[in-house]
Amino acid sequence: MARSDGGNGRGRTEPKSSALYEVLRGIDFEKRELLGKAKGVGLFDLVKDKDGRYRCHACTLCERRCPVDCIEIDFCPRFEELPFDVEAERSAARALQPEIDMALFDGVIARIREGSGLIEAFHTTQEAYGYLPRRALEEIAGEMKLPPSRVYGVASFYSQFRLTPVGKHVIDVCVGTACHVAGAPLAVEAFSQELELPVGETSADGLFTLQTVNCVGACALAPVVRVGADETYGRVGPNEARKLVRKLRKLEVAS
Amino acid sequence: MTPRAARPEATGGRIAPAAKPAGARARRIEGALKKTFDPSAYIAGDDKAEIRICAGTACHASGRVALREALDKELAARGLGDQVAVVETGCNGLCEEGPIVVVRPDGIFYPRLKAKDIAEIVETSVVGDGVVERLLYKHPQTGEALAHESDIPFYQLQERIVLSLNGKIDPYSIDDYLARGGYRALAKVLAADDPEAVIDEVERSGLRGRGGAGYPTGKKWRSCRANNGDVHYVICNADEGDPGAFLDRSIVEANPFAVIEGMTIAGFAIGAGNGAVHGYIYVRREYPAAVERLTRALKEARRRGLLGVDILGSGFGVDIDIVRSVGAFVGGESTALTATIEGLRGSPRGRHIRSVAQGLRGQPTNVNNVETYANVPWIVEHGALALSTLGTTTSKGTKVLSLSGRVAHGGLVEVPMGTTLRQVVFDIGGGTPPGHEFKAVKLGGPSGGCLPPALLDTGIDYEGLAAAGTAMCSGGMVVLDDTTCMVDLAKSAVGFMAAESCGKCVPCRVGTQRLYELLDKVTTGRAMESDLDRIERLCDDIAEGSLCGLGESAPSSVVTTLRHFGDEYRAHVVEKRCPARVCRPLIRYSIDKDACTGCHVCFGACPVQAISGERKEAHVIDHELCIKCDSCRQVCKFDAVSVETGILAVAEGRQL
Repeated sequence: MARSDGGNGRGRTEPKSSALYEVLRGIDFEKRELLGKAKGVGLFDLVKDKDGRYRCHACTLCERRCPVDCIEIDFCPRFEELPFDVEAERSAARALQPEIDMALFDGVIARIREGSGLIEAFHTTQEAYGYLPRRALEEIAGEMKLPPSRVYGVASFYSQFRLTPVGKHVIDVCVGTACHVAGAPLAVEAFSQELELPVGETSADGLFTLQTVNCVGACALAPVVRVGADETYGRVGPNEARKLVRKLRKLEVAS
Repeated sequence: MTPRAARPEATGGRIAPAAKPAGARARRIEGALKKTFDPSAYIAGDDKAEIRICAGTACHASGRVALREALDKELAARGLGDQVAVVETGCNGLCEEGPIVVVRPDGIFYPRLKAKDIAEIVETSVVGDGVVERLLYKHPQTGEALAHESDIPFYQLQERIVLSLNGKIDPYSIDDYLARGGYRALAKVLAADDPEAVIDEVERSGLRGRGGAGYPTGKKWRSCRANNGDVHYVICNADEGDPGAFLDRSIVEANPFAVIEGMTIAGFAIGAGNGAVHGYIYVRREYPAAVERLTRALKEARRRGLLGVDILGSGFGVDIDIVRSVGAFVGGESTALTATIEGLRGSPRGRHIRSVAQGLRGQPTNVNNVETYANVPWIVEHGALALSTLGTTTSKGTKVLSLSGRVAHGGLVEVPMGTTLRQVVFDIGGGTPPGHEFKAVKLGGPSGGCLPPALLDTGIDYEGLAAAGTAMCSGGMVVLDDTTCMVDLAKSAVGFMAAESCGKCVPCRVGTQRLYELLDKVTTGRAMESDLDRIERLCDDIAEGSLCGLGESAPSSVVTTLRHFGDEYRAHVVEKRCPARVCRPLIRYSIDKDACTGCHVCFGACPVQAISGERKEAHVIDHELCIKCDSCRQVCKFDAVSVETGILAVAEGRQL
């Protein structure tokens, strides 16, 4: 944690030629101001553990509590130079997924050059591929001249962006408050058992993805289940859930 | 029909900002507005024969499409296709009774329609002028058949300002909106050409942010106007992430034009003569219909000269773009929202820099909620006094609520501020389902608190609810009855918050996770009494230490349930008993020998073959195999499956 060194400087054995000592010497602790130094310089230091690691967790509490708003914590510092060869890393990542059809990606590049932001680029990519392939993220980073970590950081932050492919039928079970009190957890469990699939995953045959969502806005019909983009089913209990899965399976076999 | 129309000139008072005499400018703008209207494209009319189908989400899910097909076929077969207009409107409000059809001009209201009923309705109410008695809405208490919307108690007690055109216009037709007085407010503002006067008017009306925090809208606009920048941004927050809230969605889907008009007026008030202005509507991607309708409405407005450069020939210009949100609850926080638009992770920042000074791209930014903007055209048209006569001393106007959960008539409700919770839940919503006892009402999604029956007479206004220990939040209102376990509910709310925490500050990121684990101990019967103290302390720490509103309000469902339903927590901890029979490690299913007829239905429904017994003989559940999935109880027609809870159940039941 940052420490504004109260009166601790006095009376201690003088550490020779330490930077901190130089700073402490420059403080008039009676008046609490710096002598001959610019305002604020050197008042702060981060405490380290015995083995030399910072104890600060960047919890931002000091930023919040500072009465004069002099602390700003940026959790994504921008390095001028990266410690590894960016181009080599990038071309390795591109070679990772040769199966990705890059022809679909031209639309995304076009959108970026029109001046769409990062989020819109993700939307276009997801519309083209159904998810955000690693290779596409690298390409976006290259096109927008952003560090891949930043691109990946944004993509993984939002639950709507998927980093893995989804199944043919995406089953979204609403677990919003109204659906929860109407028994949505029971429906989720029934889906999970019938599909033999944990929540959030896609079946091996690529047919089903089971997800939970927070409120689809049809609370009067709770518990609500959405299959695909616009098929909505209301009042789905465990029995209805199993029937729905069987119906979808039957449709698959028929086609 | 609506209460709004019932009080014609109560709105009197001062007429909005037209302080200057109407001169050539006013006449020019008036003329330009008239020219935007295209009568040939105008579908809905008060006097024409027409059939209105509600195309809100709930009605859509309960079979609106099949109904529409049957209707088109029936009308075509009778050769009425050209004479009777069919309009698909936005959410009508009474979602529980969908799909809803209203037959004009008599305004006969048919709920819960099936495709097979269409022929009879067309025959009786469209060709003839009778009423199909059998299909009408029945009064919940008296059972009397009610033919008109205005007779139904659900609608009678509402005061509709924002929702006044819901169910009346086609959300794809700007002409419908223009024909009903749309954009008159904008023309009035542009004619007067006095941005300060608009802000004065909004300030006098007492309008406060409807997103939940209740910051005075006029004051926000004024401080945004006072800050200099290259561009002033006007942002509409339609990222309705609160589970249980669907009001913003319903407003946008039913009448996107009012929101856009409100934003245009706000843009004028903040930015006219003050540099460039640009607007964004930040709307949830999960609401495809809302995105589509907004896109269409913006395109139409631009085409008619109601948006873009030089609006209605006034010289003032503003354009509005849509930004689709990407599913992050914290994205609704205004600083996280601007971060998302800029293409960053949606993390909030410290509150010492205000958005009105440095918001989107470092420029002065005004962020308001959908409902706030939808109020603006009404205020400008009817005057500040009209709004300020509604509501309480500190909270003016109305509030739209989405009523859901264990209530007879869930749906979209608009009431004056100060209306009590009792009136909304019992008089409008019709109370809990028969045979169940009201337990609590949960306001504002997972970040809101739960209020017990003793606090039902609390008025719905910012200060009243704050005093009762919760917040207005966005207006989601979930009713709970004796089938809801309050600990389980609090656990689900905290689980949501833990999943949605952006991770920037420790109290929220780690605190909500630990709180979830403690609550999980309670619901699985592993907690000790000291854990309850620990929960209470942790709640304080999270609320105190978090950076943004999400973290501050994260524990409120736990705090309020612990305060009002402490007995339930103690029953879980001390007696290992779940009074609502929800928490599965503490319950056990069994079949009542006397009530069971041996119909074998539960036998077929059980996914794990835990039920045994011959036909016509009482069945038995094997507790070792039972996974407590509730399937058997739901299929039993004789109420023979019961759920027990208590120490015995724990001792014998299988731990999940």
